[in-house]
Amino acid sequence: MVEYGLLELFLPFMAGLFTTAMIIYSARILTSKTLPDAVLAVDALSVDLVVILAIIALYYRSPLLLIGVIPLAAWIFLLDLIIARYLLKR
Amino acid sequence: MIDLILFYIGLGLTIIGGVLDIIASIGFFRLKDFYMRLHAATVGAIGGGFYPLIGLAIIALSLDVDIYFKAYMSGVCLIAAVLIALGTPAGSHILARAAYHSGEAKPIITVDRLREDKGGDGE
Repeated sequence: MVEYGLLELFLPFMAGLFTTAMIIYSARILTSKTLPDAVLAVDALSVDLVVILAIIALYYRSPLLLIGVIPLAAWIFLLDLIIARYLLKR
Repeated sequence: MIDLILFYIGLGLTIIGGVLDIIASIGFFRLKDFYMRLHAATVGAIGGGFYPLIGLAIIALSLDVDIYFKAYMSGVCLIAAVLIALGTPAGSHILARAAYHSGEAKPIITVDRLREDKGGDGE
């Protein structure tokens, strides 16, 4: 079994990588011109949020933080479906 | 020994995923067209979501933590990875189809054969 302290060395670095990407995605959402662009960036941001939630749960060693992960991962597809129907029915 | 190998495989997958995620987020700004930005979105979803979740599941299996936390963490991460791998490409396709047919995003191309087939001018 690997010591938990070895992972604690790397966890802030991983969280920093994903947080940087999330900041750039947020800037993309705020500056996008059309609706599909913004929805595409929201998709990528939600995927990042899933990963960040898993990393935080691993950092605090608490399974309760993982409750929202599966509904959020399912929500990404649902958001695309709803926006596509809105764009076509309009 | 096998635990250490699993740990480093998971660590590598997660860090490669983070780097791919930053590359995808830069691609969102660099690429010109909505239909080109779909490629960046796929890199951000599969490279930045699927790989790190698989890596985190493998890392959780190799740690010396409580067995309940280990099983819960790796199971949730694997299920979320499968949902992302199945849902995000399908969602991107649905969104591209809706954006094309509703005229919300115009492609930067010289000839449009799909519009010709639908009865418009292809130029």
